[in-house]
Amino acid sequence: MAARALPKGRVFGRGLAATLLIALSLAGIARIAAGAIVPAKAVVAQILLEHAFDRSVARHHSVKPWPWADMAPVARISVSRLGVDRIVLDTGSGQAMAFGPTLLPAAARIGEPGTAVIAAHRDTHFRFLQHVRKGDVIVVEGVGGRTRRYVVTGAEIVRWDRFAIATGGGQQLALATCYPFGATRHGPSRYVVHAVRVGAKD
Amino acid sequence: MPRFHHICRALIPAVAIAMSVPATLAMPAAPAVAQDSALASDDGPGAGTLMLHGLHASETLPAVRLGTDMDVTVTGEIARVRVTQAFRNTSDKWMEATYLYPLPEDGAVDSLKMVVGQRDIIGHIEKREAARQMYETARANGQKAGLVEQQRPNMFTNSVANIGPGETVLVQIEYQAPVTATNGTFSLRLPLVVGPRYTPPHTLTSAAAVNDANAVTSAPVLDPALGAKLNPVSITVHLAPGFKVANLISRYHRVSVSGPGDDRTVRLLGPAPADRDFELDWRSASADPTVGLFSEHGTDGDYVMATITPPADLSKLTTPPREMVFVIDNSGSMGGDSMREAKASLVHALATLRPQDHFNIIRFDDTMTQLFDHSVAATPDQVALAKHYAEGLEADGGTEMLPALKAALTDAAASGGPDALRQVIFLTDGEISNEREMLAALGHDGGRSHVFFVGIGSAPNDYLMERMSTIGGGTYTHVGTPEEVAARMMPLLDVLDHPAMRDLKVSVSGGTLDLTPKRLPDIYAGRPLVLVGKTDHLAGTLTVSGTIGNKHWQRSVDLAKAQASSAVAKLWARRRISDIEADRTLGVIDDDKADAQIAEIGLASGIVTSQTSLVAIDETPTRPTGEGLTSEDLPINLPAGWDFGTLFGGKAGAAALRNADTMAARAAEQATGLDLPQTATDFAATIAQGLALLLIGLGGLFLLHRRRRGEA
Repeated sequence: MAARALPKGRVFGRGLAATLLIALSLAGIARIAAGAIVPAKAVVAQILLEHAFDRSVARHHSVKPWPWADMAPVARISVSRLGVDRIVLDTGSGQAMAFGPTLLPAAARIGEPGTAVIAAHRDTHFRFLQHVRKGDVIVVEGVGGRTRRYVVTGAEIVRWDRFAIATGGGQQLALATCYPFGATRHGPSRYVVHAVRVGAKD
Repeated sequence: MPRFHHICRALIPAVAIAMSVPATLAMPAAPAVAQDSALASDDGPGAGTLMLHGLHASETLPAVRLGTDMDVTVTGEIARVRVTQAFRNTSDKWMEATYLYPLPEDGAVDSLKMVVGQRDIIGHIEKREAARQMYETARANGQKAGLVEQQRPNMFTNSVANIGPGETVLVQIEYQAPVTATNGTFSLRLPLVVGPRYTPPHTLTSAAAVNDANAVTSAPVLDPALGAKLNPVSITVHLAPGFKVANLISRYHRVSVSGPGDDRTVRLLGPAPADRDFELDWRSASADPTVGLFSEHGTDGDYVMATITPPADLSKLTTPPREMVFVIDNSGSMGGDSMREAKASLVHALATLRPQDHFNIIRFDDTMTQLFDHSVAATPDQVALAKHYAEGLEADGGTEMLPALKAALTDAAASGGPDALRQVIFLTDGEISNEREMLAALGHDGGRSHVFFVGIGSAPNDYLMERMSTIGGGTYTHVGTPEEVAARMMPLLDVLDHPAMRDLKVSVSGGTLDLTPKRLPDIYAGRPLVLVGKTDHLAGTLTVSGTIGNKHWQRSVDLAKAQASSAVAKLWARRRISDIEADRTLGVIDDDKADAQIAEIGLASGIVTSQTSLVAIDETPTRPTGEGLTSEDLPINLPAGWDFGTLFGGKAGAAALRNADTMAARAAEQATGLDLPQTATDFAATIAQGLALLLIGLGGLFLLHRRRRGEA
């Protein structure tokens, strides 16, 4: 009743509502785009990194995948049973992790005694970790052209701040990602796959 | 080539089974079995560094095969057991083998003999560190050496160094243990396999703690997928209890019985894999068996053991109101039969609740849930709810028992009232490595609660549960298979129906007696009180008295009438050590003092304790210099009824069990902490949010549009 008495105000209100709703829709589209770019970036970056890695192997040193990149590929890891391979980057920054798994600088380098730790996102590059089983072979190909084989010894769930690695000793590899895999929120748990180097004397 | 491997795999179990036949135990070097070099597992990358091994599985058969023969003689109420372990090296390398095995928690190991070819090498008792040092020196020199160490009162390791390619070394130990008597049934229990243990990460505070946890978790569990069972056992029991035997039952193994009624011989029908405990029960054919009273005249005095059982007839006693807190273990080690047994036992017990009782249920793995905030009246509705809850439980995860114990002991006087009989009933396999922490917590916070244990499964941790229920003023009941739930729970429910005997007193007239246990346990009708004492001169009368219900009860025995037995002195030593351990857990004496006292008793009595080990060393080195030595922790079978998938499986169970591996263990070793980065983009959530916003916006616009059209 009151609305009918104030047609002008009503038209104005409706216009405002329509504008707000359109804004809401646009914000939604923007959010979807922001979300969708993540896997897209992850996939495209890996393709570019593949090329950079191949060139790196050819030249025996790391080559940047694109001119303004602040990281370079250091290795290719693959699990043939699952048919996956990933190019690993040489910095542990969150930015680099958008493009590929990264070798944590605080841990051992690949091929050194001790544990090398590679981390990646659980919903992009390391989604496959949930399917890795004890006994799987992880092949790590360095930019120097050397191929190292690791056998998975097991997996564990740890808090991000309660993780420690053996320094020295044999060559080990730890692949870390967030846990649980299907979660929609950030949590304190990390899933770590452990592997040890096999068939090498260096 | 693969086919060749298959044939080998098929041969290996057959060889393993054949090994246990006693006749073959003594055979000289057996024909070498083709050996895949991968079978000889070394310690891998962790070797030499201090690292918690944690729970792990073995997917290959070991290079050293083990066969065990047990020869048991039961005289009166004491069993003397000779265990012969044959370590046969099937590889072409020189090997060191370590085998982790269980013994009865109140057993006393007093003899070690190593047989190499035709020669016997007799072991002797030494302080633990000294024995370990001698063993390691001999190992390095290439001499054959054997070492028996106690890791827990019910868990020992035998190490044998320098077993040559194709060679067999026999290690023979002897121990004695009392037979238990409950409600007129005598029971001999020979544990055959150690259940894989869970190590709570918070206990790993020092290198010593990591070493200790390693010692009880070092044995890998053989993957059942291999289709083979290891460590075959043959058992012979000579049963001469001093009376005619009736109702002779082997609970979990098929046996043959021969001989006259008062001197039976019981044999396993063929060798059995060590994957479940052996139990033999019997009763006396006459109505009232002789009083269990045995003595031994030693060089330093006389020893006496007396078993006194209050009458079992309780039909006239009334049951007071109770507050019953059930604590059920649903950790990964309970997966399989054990979980079914625990649930069935719980449901069985719930059915006996009356409306005037209060109750609660606590379940735990590495997390914990209380069904009710505090104990509630046992109305039919609540009991039905509890039953439903119990039936829905599934086994997974680690075994954090301490928080559950603390929660169960939290005594809210409001529930059940201050006069209620407060009972805590644990249903668990007890497969944890922090026994001492549990005992201490119960000793401090026990309050007025009586703590009962129902040990679940084919190879439960008797030591933990026996001691916990003794300290907690309850009893320990074992349920070994799903079929025996009802039969085993019935006597326990009888016990739960009635308070323990009050004003329990033990007195000796006409002599003095230094008695163990120092702290008298709570005793219940039909449950025996076993006292072991030492005196200068055996004489006088031992009297046990107390009040059951409102009735005074008393029983006296004339100590001079005791039958001679050569085992009592060692049982007394073992009991004294239990008393010292109890003092330690209650904080009465400190660690150093307790260790020193235990070492003294161990050396004086010649028995293996936490501080003393038996070591045997062959004088002549046999391993040629230049030949390396490969070490192997012999794998154990998965205990019968356990679920390998749940224990090691893909879910959080395995991960939680393995947590101990890295977290704290590595804090104790030379390792560096490393923060793991945030590794989730959560793009799916972002997209979902965007979609939600878009939907709301579009939906609103659509509604707006419809209303406008409706008005037009």
